[in-house]
Amino acid sequence: MTDAFPAALTGPTSKERKYDRQLRLWAATGQQALEDSHVLLVNSDGPLGQYNTGVTGVAGVETLKNLVLPGIGGFTIVDPAIVTESDLGVNFFLEGESLGKSRAEETCRLLKELNPDVEGYYYVKRVEELLTDPDFLPQHKLVIISGPMRRSTLVPLTQEAKQLGIPVLYLHSVGFFSTFSVQLPAEFPIVETHPDPESTQDLRLLNPWPELVAAAAGLNNLDTLDDHQHGHVPYLLLLLHFLEQWKHSHEGNAPSNYKEKTEFREFVRSQARTSNPEGGEENFDEAAAAVLKTITPFSLRSSIREIFEMDQCRQLSASSQDFWVIASAIKTFHASHGVLPLPGSLPDMKAQSADYVSLQNIYKTKARQDVEEVTATVRHLESQLQRQTPAIPDRDIEVFCKNAAHIKVVLGRDIPQISIDSDASTLKTIRNELGVPDSLIPIFIAMQILDSVVDEIQSSSREEERSVDDDALWNSHTERILALLTGADGSAVCQEARAQIARASKELRRAEGGELHNISSLTGGLVAQEALKVLTRQYGPLDNTCVFDGARSKSEMYRL
Amino acid sequence: MRDSSIKRSLGVDLTRSLKESRVLLVGAGGIGCELLKNLVLTGFGEIHIIDLDTIDLSNLNRQFLFRHEHIKKSKALVAKEVAQKFRSDAKLEAYHANIMDAQFDVSWFESFNVVFNALDNIAARRHVNKMCLVANVPLIESGTTGFNGQVQVIQKSETECYDCNVKETPKSFPVCTIRSNPKEPIHCIVWAKSYLLPELFGNSDDEAPEVDSTEDADNAKEIADLRKEALELKELRQSIDTEEAHQKVFDKVFGKDIIRLQGMTDLWKEKEPPKLLDLAQLQKESDSIASTVSAQDQRVWTLGENFSVFRDSLNRLARRLKQLQETKLPDQDSPILTFDKDDVDTLDFVTATANLRAAIFHLELKSKFDVKQMAGNIIPAIATTNAMTAGLCVLQSLKVFQDNLMQAKMVFLERSGARAINSDSLKPPNPDCPVCSRLVVPVEIDPELATLEHLVHDVLQLELGYGRDISLLIGDRLVYDQEFDDALPDKLFDMGIKNGSFITVKDDNESARVNLDVVIKTRSEPSSEDSKPATLQKMVEIPLKPKQPAQPPTDDAQNPEQPAPPSTDDAAVTGKRKREGSDDDVEPNSHDAKRLASASVPDSNGIKAIVLDDEEEGAIMIDD
Ligand SMILES: [Zn+2]
Repeated sequence: MTDAFPAALTGPTSKERKYDRQLRLWAATGQQALEDSHVLLVNSDGPLGQYNTGVTGVAGVETLKNLVLPGIGGFTIVDPAIVTESDLGVNFFLEGESLGKSRAEETCRLLKELNPDVEGYYYVKRVEELLTDPDFLPQHKLVIISGPMRRSTLVPLTQEAKQLGIPVLYLHSVGFFSTFSVQLPAEFPIVETHPDPESTQDLRLLNPWPELVAAAAGLNNLDTLDDHQHGHVPYLLLLLHFLEQWKHSHEGNAPSNYKEKTEFREFVRSQARTSNPEGGEENFDEAAAAVLKTITPFSLRSSIREIFEMDQCRQLSASSQDFWVIASAIKTFHASHGVLPLPGSLPDMKAQSADYVSLQNIYKTKARQDVEEVTATVRHLESQLQRQTPAIPDRDIEVFCKNAAHIKVVLGRDIPQISIDSDASTLKTIRNELGVPDSLIPIFIAMQILDSVVDEIQSSSREEERSVDDDALWNSHTERILALLTGADGSAVCQEARAQIARASKELRRAEGGELHNISSLTGGLVAQEALKVLTRQYGPLDNTCVFDGARSKSEMYRL
Repeated sequence: MRDSSIKRSLGVDLTRSLKESRVLLVGAGGIGCELLKNLVLTGFGEIHIIDLDTIDLSNLNRQFLFRHEHIKKSKALVAKEVAQKFRSDAKLEAYHANIMDAQFDVSWFESFNVVFNALDNIAARRHVNKMCLVANVPLIESGTTGFNGQVQVIQKSETECYDCNVKETPKSFPVCTIRSNPKEPIHCIVWAKSYLLPELFGNSDDEAPEVDSTEDADNAKEIADLRKEALELKELRQSIDTEEAHQKVFDKVFGKDIIRLQGMTDLWKEKEPPKLLDLAQLQKESDSIASTVSAQDQRVWTLGENFSVFRDSLNRLARRLKQLQETKLPDQDSPILTFDKDDVDTLDFVTATANLRAAIFHLELKSKFDVKQMAGNIIPAIATTNAMTAGLCVLQSLKVFQDNLMQAKMVFLERSGARAINSDSLKPPNPDCPVCSRLVVPVEIDPELATLEHLVHDVLQLELGYGRDISLLIGDRLVYDQEFDDALPDKLFDMGIKNGSFITVKDDNESARVNLDVVIKTRSEPSSEDSKPATLQKMVEIPLKPKQPAQPPTDDAQNPEQPAPPSTDDAAVTGKRKREGSDDDVEPNSHDAKRLASASVPDSNGIKAIVLDDEEEGAIMIDD
């Protein structure tokens, strides 16, 4: 069914046609989630002084461009800056006439032109002022912040978002480098992780249900089949058939270790007819090739077991999210059957089409029965919990059952920073990374130093203005940050690492904190990609920091 | 002031060379739009942009230079216009044209510092690759699929070219599978799209690329029958806009044709024969179905629904064709409708008729959404991947401008894995590459005067020192050899040789030279008295072909099925090394076992023995 788009009178809507190429990636449900999303971009936090207008915010605007095009519901740009000549050199979404006008207003206007389906708003203010209205932040599904942002603004903003369960992306693009981090809610569940199709096959050959057993039993004498029939028995049925034979001669046990499985494979291979003109049979080749992968007892992946063991799954309440109610029902299913609901899809195989379709039906029917059982448990839980929310849609339960073996819960972390109240594990990870050759972590550290330098300039009440390239500022903040990275055993950051951090800092200072359009555009692609994953709740989002080095065309991910 | 951030980060020298550069951007699609923006804002001085396509609604989710009001207009021209509006100081040139046209010849390619490929099809990619190799211009090649992307720097003689690795070609199906004996849903979809739709509304003489209709003795009669069948269908075109057209088409393709197939009992010995559908029943069912059913593209329609969409879309297409015929000017070709995955009427028609046929042949029915993917060869595409890929293209081009090819990389984007962006060093050219290992010489001709004899005698024999025993080919067409010299007096121009044409020269002598490609440049000014009508532009050294390999030891021929030696054996290790050395992934098969066996022959120089063994296959590659 087309859930997302009501059937129009003339074929698919123009919206469906416009979004056709991306619907192939996240389907109607993902598109609906996007269209229900309003995104906040905090694109600067005011000027750095009299002469420096502060963050140019190109990466922020480019990120938004990549979200407006695929059709988010709307966006709001918060940016107190006025368009300057240097903005025009790097920002595509400003025109000559924009000079001297509000940057929020101008970028909003030009971004809106990209997609008439998307609403755009702007505020020529600092975000601090807007946060005084408690209704402001909850209107948004995602917050994107262009750094550097002074801590006195960043911390309250990210904390409030965390309390509201709103994900945050904090990004920097300076010279040839960019970094960004994702702050997700404490638990961020994903059902549609889109695993590699190869890994999702679940054929249940070692614990077939009665209908599948019956289909295989129908084969009992392969020798009576003519060559054509023999060469078209679906390999699944061949394996089930030969497994029975194997069990007879092995005290009822299926092949369980590598040696037995290879023996079994050779046994299957030896049963192929070679007297035909082809000198072999494709279906037997397929069967032999599938032995090692499919003759494996079902086992619950540890990541799924962990989800079952989480408090949210064990202790449901009336306010539990749909995800946890379904997860709990699946857990019950697993407890009583020892397996997860059958996904129900069948790989391609050599077979007569009618046979293939009937085998497909056996799998589909079983999958449907499993969904029905889980649905019944869900309905039972819903009434038991006396939930006030609308009933969980049948479709969600079905999708969950299909993906049950690959669901994921990301445990959200704060935007990482190197400070006195940093998480000890964050500092430890950074220290360890510093020992890795060619690591990009020095770029992350340099960005942290830049953050503190800018923070000090912005917060300072001093009369004379200091530049972003001020030696004294960089030296003092570099030493401060390096001191924070001192190991628990008192070991300081080594010379080699210090030199790497200094090199990265040099690039940031050379750029004077400014952006290169090309790097910011690329970064806008990277950041928007994560935003799309977060908004559609599909695929696995970044956990939690990405560093990009444009000089080496290379990126790395870190969990900080 | 505007450029200050660029100057700070790129340095004065690089900024200047970008400003003075002249680059070509081939393709103004997803990557192209992003690239144009990035090139302009990175300070590239002069950008030429070429694209053959016009803007479609389904482009707007990513090709951000285009708006709704631009639909059906030229991508290249609109991209230029919009980018120019944002950047009035950039020098932009746009061509709404095919990059494969002869006007874009080698000397035109030579006028650029770098070429960026942002194309969506292999044929054009290969063409630009070849032209850049001949013109010796660095090429930044790129492409995306969904979340994945790739950027590759190509420089003649230094790196791999686009064709150094064999590219997967689209699948084709035998004509009889499509027309008589479908075994999978895709066969019915191809039938509906490439046979039924063109026969009724299109240009049925066009060969569909996915149908392989090469005749052999086995299917010659079958093909004759199919021709007759098609003729009957063509007659139906006369009455396509009448009320009962759908009934006539149904009776023909789902009735009469199926009955004929049922009669071919050989086909149905081992499988269920096709079954006829009950027209009256379908008509009855479809009466209660609203035409809005075709909007439900995610679920599989019932047979009645498919029939209803078939009838409805046939009427829609017939009306459109009639309208086109009525408004056609006398000197225009008669109008046709062709399949376009984004054209709802054609997609509805293909979905419904493919499904009706699938039901007849006991195959699985498909949803419209799936049919669109299968028939349209749709590649998922989003803005984010394009943004990243285009950014990486520019970064790689900076290495080229800095003359720092060693630092340039092959870059990949991937959704999974620890890195979103990963890079690899560029590889040296593949010595067996059918494209970049070829020798190319430019020859200038006077189109008014130059004959084949001028080329053969003056250029090849006198200037390049070829003997008499050579043959010349244009593409696959032989135009000259020692026995076939009738064409010598013909003008090259009359033989279809234009500016930019390639002619392959094969040396048929005992100790032969490698094949040579002559690329033609036409003289723009008439030749002076003393200049010859055809002249060599650049002298080249033409190496000899490697000597034919000695026959491998004979004992492996006696034991062709000899199994591979156990893995502890030394020879198996050697055999493995050899396999890694070959480019294609060869499936383990008996031939492989043979190669292993021959490698196991004791030899004081193991590696040499292996090379010899491989020659047999290598020779085929070089010689084609
Ligand atoms: Zn090559």
